[in-house]
Amino acid sequence: MYPWSSSSYGGQVATGGQTGTMPNGLDDQEKLLAEAAGAARKQAFQMNHFLDKERMLDALKCASTMLSELRTSLLSPKSYYELYMSVTNELCHLELYLSEKSNKETDLYELVQYSHTIVPRLYLLITVGIVYIKNDSTLKRSILKDLVEIATRNILPDVLVADNEHEGNVYDAIDFVLTNFAEMNKLWVRMQHQGHSSEKTRREKEREELKILVGTNLVRLSQLESATLETYKRLILPGILEQVVSCRDAIAQEYLMECIIQVFPDEFHLQTLDPFLKSCAQLETGVNVKNIIISLIERLAAYNQRSGKTSGNAIDAIIPAEVELFEVFSVQVANIVQTRTDMPLEDTISLQVALLSLAQKVYSDRVDYVDKVLGTTAQILDRMNMNNISHLMTVNQELSRLLRICIDFYNNALTIIQLLNFYPLLEKFDYTSRKSLALYLVMNILENETLVPTADQADSLLTIITPLIEDDTTSSTTATNNSADAEEFAEEQGVVARFIHLLKSDEPDMQYKMLQTARKHLGNGSGQRLKHVLPPLVFAAYQLAFKYKAIAEQDENWDKKCQKIVQYCHSTISALAKADLPDLALRLYLQGALVIGEIRYTNHETVAYEFMTQAFSLYEDEISDSKAQLAAITLIMSTFEQMSCFGEENAEPLRTNCALAASKLLKKPDQCRGVVACAALFWSGKQNGEEMRDEKRTLDCLKKGARIASQCLDTGVQVQLYVELLNHYLFYFERGNSLITVAMLNQLIAKVNEELPNLEPSEETKQIESHYKNTLAHLRSRMESNDTALEVSFAGITLN
Amino acid sequence: MLVLVLGDLHIPHRCSSLPAKFKKLLVPGRIHHILATGNICTKESYDYLKSLATDVHIVRGDFDENLSYPEQKVVTVGQFRIGLCHGHQVVPRGDPEALALIQRQLDVDILITGHTYKFEAYEHGNKFYINPGSATGAFNPLDTNVVPSFVLMDIQSTTVVTYVYQLIGDEVKVERIEYKKI
Repeated sequence: MYPWSSSSYGGQVATGGQTGTMPNGLDDQEKLLAEAAGAARKQAFQMNHFLDKERMLDALKCASTMLSELRTSLLSPKSYYELYMSVTNELCHLELYLSEKSNKETDLYELVQYSHTIVPRLYLLITVGIVYIKNDSTLKRSILKDLVEIATRNILPDVLVADNEHEGNVYDAIDFVLTNFAEMNKLWVRMQHQGHSSEKTRREKEREELKILVGTNLVRLSQLESATLETYKRLILPGILEQVVSCRDAIAQEYLMECIIQVFPDEFHLQTLDPFLKSCAQLETGVNVKNIIISLIERLAAYNQRSGKTSGNAIDAIIPAEVELFEVFSVQVANIVQTRTDMPLEDTISLQVALLSLAQKVYSDRVDYVDKVLGTTAQILDRMNMNNISHLMTVNQELSRLLRICIDFYNNALTIIQLLNFYPLLEKFDYTSRKSLALYLVMNILENETLVPTADQADSLLTIITPLIEDDTTSSTTATNNSADAEEFAEEQGVVARFIHLLKSDEPDMQYKMLQTARKHLGNGSGQRLKHVLPPLVFAAYQLAFKYKAIAEQDENWDKKCQKIVQYCHSTISALAKADLPDLALRLYLQGALVIGEIRYTNHETVAYEFMTQAFSLYEDEISDSKAQLAAITLIMSTFEQMSCFGEENAEPLRTNCALAASKLLKKPDQCRGVVACAALFWSGKQNGEEMRDEKRTLDCLKKGARIASQCLDTGVQVQLYVELLNHYLFYFERGNSLITVAMLNQLIAKVNEELPNLEPSEETKQIESHYKNTLAHLRSRMESNDTALEVSFAGITLN
Repeated sequence: MLVLVLGDLHIPHRCSSLPAKFKKLLVPGRIHHILATGNICTKESYDYLKSLATDVHIVRGDFDENLSYPEQKVVTVGQFRIGLCHGHQVVPRGDPEALALIQRQLDVDILITGHTYKFEAYEHGNKFYINPGSATGAFNPLDTNVVPSFVLMDIQSTTVVTYVYQLIGDEVKVERIEYKKI
């Protein structure tokens, strides 16, 4: 039986001999539709023909026959709708004709009542009725009443599309459409319960195809221009909601609630949030209430933004102040969460996400609203005893989204820490998710270059990012098992390290407090973490010391403060040394020595010396790789060479130790180069603030280098060292070391000249040759130079 | 042929990132070679350079942990032999004569070094010396007013035009220096 036919209609169809079940085949459907449409077209042609001839009765007869095609139960709802569309289209011609000729044919309304079956009769009544109303609006009321009577008697649901509205008494129109809507919805819902249960899917598909027809009623209601907000509040919305809630059908409820949101204007929604949301709480269990509410929120938020843009008004002016949008949603969402116990947790969280985005889009300055949402979410999780929420759970994604939205929205970590519920909520996650959220926050800070100006704020942020600072205490697995993990770990620690530079206050005292706070937090990490995160603290502290020096005149305690800072650095670096990072610690000590030497606070010399000796002990005790040793001692020497803060008492042991250490390097070439580099300490190294220029000891270093070179067995390396030595001799010769003689230079040249031709041809040999060639070219240019600034005489040098 | 020369970034030891204005200037696909004077410090910084140009040459700075970076390197671009060395090995620091020692050893037309955090470009003994300074303006105990800078070299057969980009205050200033090979 055709789904929406009533029993009385069924009886009539039976007499017409057209009973039968609906054919299932698609081809059959097409065939049936084609037949019916063909017959209708034929009648329509006839009708138009008679209309041209002004043979009204014949025309009406044809119209009636045409309409009879709609009396079928064989077509599927979709095909039926197609047929219906083409037939009503033809009816328009009749309507048009009648409106032109109406004054002559006043008894038409009576005439069409004689149509022998109900379907054509009703359509013709409607068509003629419309013409009557158009010509004489006083008839509107009685005709509409008459038509509604027929409809409400539930004889034929197909009349639904023929609703009439416009002017006159709008309440009649509302009443009419609402009644029509209610009846139609009932039929639509009833479809679900007819037929065999195995055809449920097919029925639902059919219902899906028909939903627009039901929804059209709501569209009509929304098009009533004279229906005011008051009318909507008092009549329209309560009428619709009553029907929606009472029909107790999930498909209908979900669709119609969505329809309400989409067809009525935002201004109406704003004033009717309470009843609408209350109805949401009463919907069937299968209804996705979350989507309905999110849809409404999104619409209102978009409305607010749209109007905000066009009107240029302040946000409060767009959503009327008396509408407490957030509060209403907040209360009603809580209500829904409480009553709908069957709602999945993900959906509950999604609702919170929607609330959050409402708060942010409409009340962008109300941090408390956002915080409230986070608080509510934490409470929900508390009630469910949810802790350590695994990153593998689906609800985790939605929860993470909640926090990420906050981070993205403010793009300011300082606002995030104003959200008092942010951290408590974050604590509900497992380590992995807390870590990835922490990383997300730090990346956001870096991208926005958010400066953190106070120690308290630094403390809050460092607490939030604890998972990046400390290992997971709840799990035994360590992060750095393979190289990919190690790389990721290094990257993540690099991010934390970069963040430290954004802890920045213009107030030096505050800056110091912040560094202490950071040290406390970061010190809790393992050695692998310290390597990344402590050096930035040390450098930040060095910079701070310079800042105090710069304001020495305003801050009488700058001296003491610098001492404290240096102590801070010392203990931080020794933590690195203890964490088995001697190379790094050594370099930081050297940098520190330079800083202390420049700042020159009371007692600086002793402390600088301490830093140098710390570097030395690390060099001696901890660095064993020969390449690393050479690099380290070279650095110690070049650092020391630049320092002028030492008195002889401290400078001398440092110098001798450098020389000693260089001569004790493992490999001969390293020894040679180390000792030669040492020469600089006695030449340009400082003594009582001046360059030392100790000609003898400078030369001693060079000579020692030459001696070590002569001990090299590999002639290639030996010649290379001689060429290097020649260059160094020349360097000090040109600088005016009077102990270096032309004879010494000649001796070296002769040595190279003697050995170089014997070398096996190779890439290395070629390099030595060009190095030597360049050296000679340099010499030659010096000899030929007329530059009077040259203090030394190159006379007597033999180049070949 | 565009060659980007930069170094002494010290990220994350001494600063959090390259100046935003520099990052805007440094776009992928324009630069053919990158010569880095060292103290690149992390793989992220290296990857960033790699994203600007595929041909990246790096020497080891005093704060570089990566042991695979060499102490010195020679790269040939056009008709120029270019030497690269961080310069912390040079005593006295940044001394032109001391640098000339390396130039002679590497047998190069142009010697690029860093370590002083101060941009320099000069001719000395018919050779060209460039120090791109520190691209991040990293902290330096011996100079508390480091100006962030890097260098772009446009190399055309025997001519190299050097553009230095310096972030002075909040503005990027560009200077042009030309060097011809004899």
